[in-house]
Amino acid sequence: MMGPLLRTEFLKIKRKGFWLLTFLGPFGVVALQMVNYGVRKDYLFQQSDDRWAYYLHNVHDFTPLALVLGIVILTSLMASIENETNAWKQLMSLPVSKYSVYLSKFTVLSFFLLAASFLLMVFTLLYGIFLDLGPDIPYADLARYSFYPFFASLPVLALQLWAAVIFRNQGIPVALGVFGVILTYSSYSLPDWLIWKWPTLMNGWNEPVLNVLWGLLAGCALYVFGMIDFARRDVK
Amino acid sequence: MLPILQSEWFKLRKAKIVSVLFTGPLAGFLLGFTIHGDVPEGVNPWHILLLFMNVIYALLFLPLMTGVLAGLICRYEHQAGGWKQLLTLPVTRGKVFTGKYIILMALVLFIQLLYLGAVYGVGWAKGFTEPFPLEIVWKSIFGGWIASFPLVALQLWMSILFKNFAAPLAVNAVFTLPAILAVQSERFGPYYPWGQPFLMMYIGGGDGVFFVPWEQLLLVVGGSFLVFFLGGYIYFQRKAV
Repeated sequence: MMGPLLRTEFLKIKRKGFWLLTFLGPFGVVALQMVNYGVRKDYLFQQSDDRWAYYLHNVHDFTPLALVLGIVILTSLMASIENETNAWKQLMSLPVSKYSVYLSKFTVLSFFLLAASFLLMVFTLLYGIFLDLGPDIPYADLARYSFYPFFASLPVLALQLWAAVIFRNQGIPVALGVFGVILTYSSYSLPDWLIWKWPTLMNGWNEPVLNVLWGLLAGCALYVFGMIDFARRDVK
Repeated sequence: MLPILQSEWFKLRKAKIVSVLFTGPLAGFLLGFTIHGDVPEGVNPWHILLLFMNVIYALLFLPLMTGVLAGLICRYEHQAGGWKQLLTLPVTRGKVFTGKYIILMALVLFIQLLYLGAVYGVGWAKGFTEPFPLEIVWKSIFGGWIASFPLVALQLWMSILFKNFAAPLAVNAVFTLPAILAVQSERFGPYYPWGQPFLMMYIGGGDGVFFVPWEQLLLVVGGSFLVFFLGGYIYFQRKAV
């Protein structure tokens, strides 16, 4: 059943700006560093001997913010397809289960976010090479900084998708999302258990992979909770 | 004009606006407690508190929130032909646009006052005994409000243009995130409209009526306000409903 559902989801989001946003997020994150390095390259080069690590760190300053904002925007956009045209009833009257509808939406969103992570890796690498940061390109760290935040932000994705599909008034999930962005931005001084801190890959043990594990676990839990709750609600 | 304002307010009251209005001050209030810096001798702890809280509030929350509020105020009209219904009434499009804008600015002022309350609440809970720096706080609160004029105008324009919340938010995010970098630059910061709420609320600024010079206020805030407000106004005049 998932195949046709995924195809319909991809059909419905045509010309809605998903690809544009998927490109814009990672591009914006790297473009900020283009401005940053363009304006004060010499100063930034003096900051650290390991220029690649310092550069990756600078890029990663903005990745969590862009990612959390991107999740808020994409989930709201995804839900607005049915919300705007009152199409939930139509969709649910088809011979599909609510679980698989929810799963297909989650899958499509994950796909776009993964694509964005991949693009982030490509853009980061290209601009890093352009900056001539040194011969030893840290490919492992590059991949880590590009893909770890995605896995660490799965709980936020699950939460925002749930909020976006159950509230008709999209102001509420969006306001919740803005709240989350603020928590992500100030996560340096926040406790480790807050899901909005995880995309920053910071924790008390200095082990970014922990955030990935927590993200996968809590992401699954929140996803299942959201799916069950969605299935039990009346179709509006 | 007054009936338009009343009807806008009436529509908003039922749009769960209260919970949205309180998110920011609540976030500010909670984050205020996470600041564990040592206050140097002789420095008013209120100043430290304001410095920290303003960063989060003015740099991200206020600009992003203008978008959410603008989306809420256009929500009824985007549903089921609401624009048609509203504009068949004996009102002009210019007045509807201006009315929505005035309500939005009143809500932003209300948020600013709630934020003032949050700052005071954090200081009170932490047991600050120093006098509350009222003058500085007012400068900051009002400055932030004035700096949000152009941002609200653009977001109202975008919210009328797009049916959903997500697209205006994307526009907002694209301009707001770079402000984090822009305000660090002495050369570009003063010219970046989305950095102005932070610069006008930053209590380490100049000694004038506001924390930024008049030229910057008039040129950047005033100029971008004119562009965005007129842009939205003219767009709305020509919008097919």
